[in-house]
Amino acid sequence: MTAVTETAGEAAATSPVSRLPLPLRFAARELRGGLRGFAVFIVCIALGVGAIAAVGSISRALVDGISEQGQTILGGDVSVSLVHRELPEGELAGLESLGEVSKIATLRAMARRPDGETQTLVELKAVDDAYPLVGELEVSGADTASGALAATDDTHGLLAEAGFAARLGIEVGDAVEIGNGRFTLSGIIEQEPDRLSDGGIGWGPRAIVSHEGLEASGLVQPGSLLRYTYRVLLDGVASDARVAQVAEGLESEFPDAGWRVRTRDNASPRLKESIDRFSMYLVLVGLTALIVGGVGVANAVTAYVERRREGIATLKSLGASRRVVFLTYLSAILILAAGAILIGLAFGAAAPPIAGLFLRDALPVTNYGPFPGELAKAALYGLLTALAFALWPLGIAREIPARALFQGRAQDQGAWPARWLTVLLAAVVLALCGLAILFAADRFLAAIIVGSAAAIFVALRLVAWGIMAGARALPRSGPLAWRMALTAIHRPGAVTPSAVLSLGLGLTLLVAVAQTDGNLTRQLTVSLPDRAPSFFFLDIPRNAAEDLRQTIEEVAPDATVEEVPMLRGRIVSLEGVPVSEIEPHPDAAWVLRGDRGLTYAETPPGNGEIVAGSWWPENYQGEPLVSFAAELAEQLGLEVGDRVEVNVLGRTIEARIANLRKVEWESLSINFVMVFSPNTFAGAPHMVLATASLSDAEERGGAEARLMREVTRDFPTVTMVRVREALNSINDIVRQLAWAIRGASGFTLLAGIVVLGGALAASHRHRIHDAVILKTLGATRGRLLWTYVLEFGLLGLVTAAFATIAGTIAAWAVVTFVMQLDFVVFPWVALAAATGALAVTIGLGLVGTWRVLGQRPGPWLRNE
Amino acid sequence: MSHSAISVENVHLSLGDAAARVHVLRGLDVHIGRGEAVGIVGPSGSGKSTLLMTMAGLERPDEGQVRVAGEDLGRLDEDGLARFRGENVGLVFQSFHLIPNMTAIENVAVPLELTGQPDAFERARAALERVGLSHRLDHYPTALSGGEQQRVALARALVTEPKILFADEPTGNLDGETGKQIIELVFALQREHQATLVLVTHDEGLAARCDRVIAMRDGEIVGGEAGIGRAAE
Repeated sequence: MTAVTETAGEAAATSPVSRLPLPLRFAARELRGGLRGFAVFIVCIALGVGAIAAVGSISRALVDGISEQGQTILGGDVSVSLVHRELPEGELAGLESLGEVSKIATLRAMARRPDGETQTLVELKAVDDAYPLVGELEVSGADTASGALAATDDTHGLLAEAGFAARLGIEVGDAVEIGNGRFTLSGIIEQEPDRLSDGGIGWGPRAIVSHEGLEASGLVQPGSLLRYTYRVLLDGVASDARVAQVAEGLESEFPDAGWRVRTRDNASPRLKESIDRFSMYLVLVGLTALIVGGVGVANAVTAYVERRREGIATLKSLGASRRVVFLTYLSAILILAAGAILIGLAFGAAAPPIAGLFLRDALPVTNYGPFPGELAKAALYGLLTALAFALWPLGIAREIPARALFQGRAQDQGAWPARWLTVLLAAVVLALCGLAILFAADRFLAAIIVGSAAAIFVALRLVAWGIMAGARALPRSGPLAWRMALTAIHRPGAVTPSAVLSLGLGLTLLVAVAQTDGNLTRQLTVSLPDRAPSFFFLDIPRNAAEDLRQTIEEVAPDATVEEVPMLRGRIVSLEGVPVSEIEPHPDAAWVLRGDRGLTYAETPPGNGEIVAGSWWPENYQGEPLVSFAAELAEQLGLEVGDRVEVNVLGRTIEARIANLRKVEWESLSINFVMVFSPNTFAGAPHMVLATASLSDAEERGGAEARLMREVTRDFPTVTMVRVREALNSINDIVRQLAWAIRGASGFTLLAGIVVLGGALAASHRHRIHDAVILKTLGATRGRLLWTYVLEFGLLGLVTAAFATIAGTIAAWAVVTFVMQLDFVVFPWVALAAATGALAVTIGLGLVGTWRVLGQRPGPWLRNE
Repeated sequence: MSHSAISVENVHLSLGDAAARVHVLRGLDVHIGRGEAVGIVGPSGSGKSTLLMTMAGLERPDEGQVRVAGEDLGRLDEDGLARFRGENVGLVFQSFHLIPNMTAIENVAVPLELTGQPDAFERARAALERVGLSHRLDHYPTALSGGEQQRVALARALVTEPKILFADEPTGNLDGETGKQIIELVFALQREHQATLVLVTHDEGLAARCDRVIAMRDGEIVGGEAGIGRAAE
């Protein structure tokens, strides 16, 4: 190039942009003029990507935290746990040869103030001097944790969470009784390193005592619900491979130990599984937000192509091929999408540190990211969504003919997008659905959810089409406002499809969540107390059962008391196949995992209908028989006559299935998977499990509190679970989860509102035009306003009706088939959805058109 | 007719759908020689713009053949036609049709960029200098007056040195004085490039400056006469 005076034009020629491929160069010029008209596009993509990136990142931070702190959470490199029995010498020696060992025991028990005034259920944990092998037990009010547990005279030290002291109304230094033992609260637990290893729901505050203290409480009885866990901190370098090897070695060396071996890399499997599953729901909800946003993307790109129609035709008249035109506008859209995705990713990357502020005390988060894998997934979702919704309008841009430039031909429509483009579009949509399923923890469930979302999307399109067709077909009679509203609903460029799709999808999701949540809450709080007992009494010594019954009858004469013998045992094999070799149905896996409560009975339980086989005769003395829960038997492939081998108190017993019994777990009555014939456990030591159902009058009269007081005083080793309290604990968790899902669904609704707002803004010019013309013809603002109210009211109403029906069907499917509960429709949800949809559509519609009403016709007409 | 720049034979074209379909061109035959300047005149709706679009490959006839610069346009697909225009044809419109998000120099450089010319911007600048806009290179269309916009359009139409220049009412949106300047420029540039010029206009005086005038009415040619500017081929 010859040296010339540098001008701005020269600069254009030599700028880095000028070296880009032609479509990119043109795209850069397209975007140079600013992002007008793309606000909705950017917000929609950023919102969806941000939601997905945030959920993914937070869940990754948690799962990584659990993995990284696996050793601390597990309390060692390897742990083995057994129910209600300690490790025999040989096996303990085996563990001790591997490294340092710490023994803990966990159980639920009742703690009470010595004056008997207050009592509480506690999650009791007994520890040895080596505890904790890893991490630190942080306490306040005591100098050292181990010193705080030591015995002085006749009392033992006890450390407990702040909630313990609060419930009992005591302070550090005060006395407290558990079982038959006396303890002194010597400090408050601030941080318990291995708190998450159980992963279950805590029904009471944590209290820690020494093994001697536990012994003194008299709570350790044959058959009591007690779990021993031995943690091993391996000697030398404990690589992951060595840890795995040790775990395998323990399983193979002691095949009949009946213990559950866990390693530090899977320290809290239940928690990890819950996080995975929960984040899957949230990601899918985030994806719905992204898809709703996709409608906004499609609107924005369509409007953009429409605005650029003349430019595109000009390019073509100057010799640009369809390829150049397509690639130019595709590049521009992709650049915009990339920007929006970056905004979303920034939000997603910032989410773990923000969530960390709230989760720091509850969950282990050590690495706050960013997590490139999670961000990449979110970016991919964003990109595919942008493509899925932009390809069609871009395909139309590709076909805009050069003749569109000529006068009178501006409305000439381009042809449909080329066939290869429709194929590409289908591939993108499939990839989007495929990835959503592929990345999910439960692919089958994810496929159902993705499929339902797709079906609802299509249905909403049809509804929009139906509304427009209906409005078109209605006779043009009636008041002017009505006729105008109908026309506004079906005219070309109407907001109907956008409004119905964007709002409909978000609302459907919210209705589904609300109905499911309502049903779950109802199941837990409303319907159960009718059938569920008021109290469970655990670990009742056999010889105390009769006295306990008398106590209950004295305090609450109308109460119904049910008692059953209770043993603990685990299934060893089914039909001769060892449990370790069985791959059970996921819903029945829990039956084979660890210890189960077992019982025996002379007669069939009152609440279980026999669906196959028959009950054993009175005084049956033959081979051991068992009655198995029917649904679980089916899932495990068991039939009447099959053999089940169980290990109870170290003894292996084989029983034949005599009958299958229908069990209603949600009744919360005493239910067992397996009920054996009485001769099976003849002479075996066992405890008694009892329930008491108080009458309503007794409950109202304060009998519950009296009973708690008397039973904890007279039967200190019996653990009482107040069903109402336990349900409240579960309910709190369900409620928190429901709020998280509702929050995520809120994103979808927000995206919907943004899309609707954008669609309304796009129709603004059209509305001003109409309003101005009508005003010149004498229409008042009131009449115009009424027209808008009618138009948006109709749209909102139809959308709400659809969302209520579709959301309720979805909730019914989830409640009936996934949760297997009875489904009840909550009319208030429908009402709220309808009101909400009406408020949003009319509200947004009127906000957008208020200015229209104020337009003076003069200036507008002059500028037309 | 190998020496014709443009040859239109028995061309029929209808536009619109179903009941609204109008037979716009009714069996036209037009032959325009190389370097010839031809004015097409006629009342609104006579089909003159449609004839120009058909000759520029922007509209496909229902029947008949259009050959431009030796190429049978009927044999080219959409992209083939686009390439053909980029290489052979310059277009000037009544409403300028500059690309709003591109500066003057970028607008002029586009046809050269589309054919991959490395010196697109130098040539674009030279073309803009030729039309007297060297001081407006980096202005966006909205910052230019109507006359300036049309001069940019003219520079863009001629920057590729096309064999044929089609101009559709190029002065229609300009005031009298500016229009006159533009038309002087059109003829000067046409002579300079020895291009064939097809000029659609309402202005019979303007048409008369062409070598030949074709008069149209209701989609038919109702008269043709030699112009006063130069001798017919």
